[in-house]
Amino acid sequence: MKFRTLAWFVGPSVFMMLLFIAFPLASVFLQSFQITQPIVETVEVETCTPGFLGQTCVTETKTTPVLDENGNPTTTTEWVGLLSYARVLQLEQVGAAIASGTWSSILAIDFWKALRFTLTFTLVTLPLVIGLGLAIALAVNNAARSIRGQIIFVSLLPFIITPVIGALSIRWLFYGDGIVTAMLEGMFSTDISVAANGWAIEMLMMFYRVWHVAPFAFVIFYAGLQTVNQDTLESAIIDGASRFERLRFVVVPHLMPLIIFIALIHLMDAYRAFEEVIGFSSQAHRITLQWLTYDLLEPDDAGNRAISRASASAMLTMIGIVILLIPLLRRTWRDHKGSAH
Amino acid sequence: MATPKALQQPASLRLASASFLAFWCLIAAFPIFWIAVMSFKSPVDAFSANPLNVVFGPTTRADGKGLSIIDIVIGLVVLIAAVRLAFTQLPKWVGRLSPPGMAIIGWLVGAAAYAIAFLIVFFGILPVFLGGLNAVTGPLGAPVLGLTTEHYYAVWIENGFWRNFQNSLIVTAGVVTISLTVGTLAGYGLARSGSNLAFWILIIALIFRALPHSVLVAGYLPVFINSAEILRPILGENAPTLYGQPLAVIAVLVAINQPFTIWMLRSFFQNIPNELDEAARVDGCTHFQAFRWVIMPVMWPGVITTGLFSFLLAYNDLLVTSLLLDAQNQTMVPAIAGYFNRETTTTDQVEAVAAAVSITAPLFLLVMIFQRQIVSGLTAGAVKG
Amino acid sequence: MKLKTLLMAGAVSLMATAAAQADCAFENDVQVKSLSAGFEAWKAVTDAMAECGNVEAELDQEFRTKQPAAFAANPSLYQIGGVSNGTVTPLLNEGTIRPLDDLVAAHGQNLAPNQLIKIDGQTMAVAMMVNTQHLMYRQDIFDDLGLEVPSTWDGVLEAAAAIKEAGVVDYPLGATMKSGWNLAQDFNNMFLGFGGVFTDADSMPTVNTEAGMKALDMMMRMTEYMDPEYLVSDSTYVQQQFQQGKIAMANLWASRGAAMDDEAESQVVGKVNAAAAPLAMEGGAPATTLWWDGIVIAKNISDEEADAAFRVAMEGLDTEMVTANNDEAIWLISGYQPNRLAEGAIATASADPAPQSYPSTSQMGLMHTALGNELPAFFTGERDAAATLEAVEGAYVTAAKEAGLIE
Repeated sequence: MKFRTLAWFVGPSVFMMLLFIAFPLASVFLQSFQITQPIVETVEVETCTPGFLGQTCVTETKTTPVLDENGNPTTTTEWVGLLSYARVLQLEQVGAAIASGTWSSILAIDFWKALRFTLTFTLVTLPLVIGLGLAIALAVNNAARSIRGQIIFVSLLPFIITPVIGALSIRWLFYGDGIVTAMLEGMFSTDISVAANGWAIEMLMMFYRVWHVAPFAFVIFYAGLQTVNQDTLESAIIDGASRFERLRFVVVPHLMPLIIFIALIHLMDAYRAFEEVIGFSSQAHRITLQWLTYDLLEPDDAGNRAISRASASAMLTMIGIVILLIPLLRRTWRDHKGSAH
Repeated sequence: MATPKALQQPASLRLASASFLAFWCLIAAFPIFWIAVMSFKSPVDAFSANPLNVVFGPTTRADGKGLSIIDIVIGLVVLIAAVRLAFTQLPKWVGRLSPPGMAIIGWLVGAAAYAIAFLIVFFGILPVFLGGLNAVTGPLGAPVLGLTTEHYYAVWIENGFWRNFQNSLIVTAGVVTISLTVGTLAGYGLARSGSNLAFWILIIALIFRALPHSVLVAGYLPVFINSAEILRPILGENAPTLYGQPLAVIAVLVAINQPFTIWMLRSFFQNIPNELDEAARVDGCTHFQAFRWVIMPVMWPGVITTGLFSFLLAYNDLLVTSLLLDAQNQTMVPAIAGYFNRETTTTDQVEAVAAAVSITAPLFLLVMIFQRQIVSGLTAGAVKG
Repeated sequence: MKLKTLLMAGAVSLMATAAAQADCAFENDVQVKSLSAGFEAWKAVTDAMAECGNVEAELDQEFRTKQPAAFAANPSLYQIGGVSNGTVTPLLNEGTIRPLDDLVAAHGQNLAPNQLIKIDGQTMAVAMMVNTQHLMYRQDIFDDLGLEVPSTWDGVLEAAAAIKEAGVVDYPLGATMKSGWNLAQDFNNMFLGFGGVFTDADSMPTVNTEAGMKALDMMMRMTEYMDPEYLVSDSTYVQQQFQQGKIAMANLWASRGAAMDDEAESQVVGKVNAAAAPLAMEGGAPATTLWWDGIVIAKNISDEEADAAFRVAMEGLDTEMVTANNDEAIWLISGYQPNRLAEGAIATASADPAPQSYPSTSQMGLMHTALGNELPAFFTGERDAAATLEAVEGAYVTAAKEAGLIE
């Protein structure tokens, strides 16, 4: 295919991605090296606010931005190099923690806490999603043809439901006096507070993610199972391969590209996990990297937002994801070289 | 189909496999089933710690809202009849009435019509009929199971949730159509080009997919709000404010969804033999003509599957829609999230649950209709790597 | 079916407008849009404004993110903004709202003087209600156990111990200590109650002080009597705990009072009473902050629009609206009849010395965020009090440097 033709085909798609992804990304990249500040002045202001009947007036010094002749705040933009990255990583505190030998206090620093959890979350759920997805696919493939349709339908439910709603539906089962917690309390006659324990929240968040994504893995694997070469299977049987050996040496290799595909998608999605933190209100115990970025971007009541640090944290998240994906990307590159022409 | 003897499984394995599947289905469906039950109860019952209270709803029943034995029996009969009808008669009607080649649209229209007819019968006619029946049957007509549809009424009629439903339809339809049009072209182009450029487009798209969305979205907001000012030098006085426009949100969602779409469709097109369009080109077709006349007729399974994923993304999106749409154009998910803000009451929460359950219903229908297409689409395309 | 619903809803809203327009003193023919938070009081006010016609009210949970940008646009996307003393700050700082003195003189004859929020003598906003966190308690439990309603936090802890001893509720105390904004706000209350000051004249933080330590210590002592899941408990959660009879006391927002007597939700109707927020130390102010909510008018709009917007807003803030929605808030508007549950808020606001109004400064915004992010580690036991306050100051300094408030 000639370049011109290719350009016509991919043009609209590439244009949209450039406009709405690459362009914002470039500006995020630039902002992570800049700090834009308003020029502020200190003024004495008298503010009168209501009590219930009377009014209280206080005179206090306030810092307010200087406005230009159009009434817009004047700002300065400065190149600060890696300062914002250093602020996100808080290397000084990390250094101090290492020097004093208290390693655990590193994990009290937001970025490292988020990184620790995000990595654990991603790497623990990955095999669970693939394993559970494969198990369901094999079991469904094994089930009577007449009920397969219904089972596939039920299995897909956790995947199609709106993520926030799904997370809340599980949260309500466990938090406070949720019915599952109440049942467990009844069984062991103790008082259980799921949301008071970091590890319990962590497990619940992982459970939710596996519950939500395993159906996706399942449906892909199930489709893959439909194309397993029956001849190979039969010859494996003739060679006396056991059931497990057939799975191990015929089915799994056949599904390997799919396992890679699921792994790829899952690594990306889990590494930028976000809904779980909101859905399970886990901020006190566990935070993720995307939540950290989001939190820096959220304006406080006074309208301040830490755009430079948020940009730096977003770039760090991206770097992390690219590192995680490198092994899979190299494989894709080899395939591409092998399959081209 | 006869199973070869060696493939027959020992009873223990079959039992293990069946019970595993039953267990999984329970876990998969229970949380969703449970919020569905909650949505029909008064707030006190819905958040009760005792599961029996949630199921039987004593407080709801005490308020005089409930189902009698007669209600339950007749309701179940109607429900089962409706499901049977859906699986036996509906396909026939659709087959007979939809014009050839338009089976998919026929199915969509048929399913929607059926759903509406069901809603009218089940929630419109049946309650009136049963109300009369309950009044004359004495103890059999007394409520035993607390159940109320007031939250659904509050959400859909009083709070005007149907407007959000409309907006969701617009956004979702827009995203699916544009995403597939743009993505199909790109997917085909990338599948048929072995150049390094194509490869790098794919890899960069993959990295784009990995971006944390909150960063992108926060970048859009100021630009969208000030777009009238920014675009005025170019477009003059007609420069639009993009903030709040469904079209702008559609464009953003399409872009965010492009990486996944082109990857799926590319692997799908790779499995359509190259010889097919090469033969067409030998006959003098251009690439576009080959695409139009040879590829388009056989690409539908893959497109439907990919379309479903686009649909899910657009339908379920919260981050983009909540920030970039104003109240008039708000879709359903941010509207529901709005019930859970700092200033909610328990009633708001149960109403949110009712809203959440009702937005799941269209997803149900969709998956029911397209279930086989999903599997066959995946079998034909993406899953071959 | 859908068509029918549409028609029905259309008919209902038409009827509503027709009936309502009679309630509005004038017919508004200028398109007016408002952006505010979405709680009950705003629903009441915007519904009353809509009676004048051509009003589009947006009650948006993302309003904090949208408001500064939308008001800075030219022309502004909204004419009316709903703000509180926290969220008015960015609008004031960026100069995107207009002084209201002319409009108040022209159309504000029904406003009470204490409704006018004055910055350097100029009226910048019109308040409609006050809100504060104060003590709500179960009167029946206190009567049964013969307990006095506590007026200090030490007294609260003693009462909590007695209630725990009696075992009448699951947890004696509730608190809005969800990590983030809520937890930080609870710390603010206690810190101010112990006479703390957040920043000095150079914008440097001063929370790592005795007042800070005392506040954290008191909060930690409170947690002994609370549901262990307190780090996820926001106002709605505490309200539910009250309604389900699980707690006996909480320092809760006045705007939540009405829900205690809501028969559809509450199992404790009529049993919850309100008192002034307890003192943290003798002779101090009640350990809480005063908040107001009110309206502002955008600057980047024409004077006709501003005039129409202000008149519409005045219709929303009139006595008629208050009589119809008396219990939704502690209104500042004439015609408001304080009910039983409003007593606590009024006692708090008129205490001597009175609690501070939540400071509307950029520094406070940064401090609030720093507290919300760093305090949870203290309550999960990862850090001690001194290290936590040090971390808070560190986070504040980083943010303040980035915002250009300190060098």
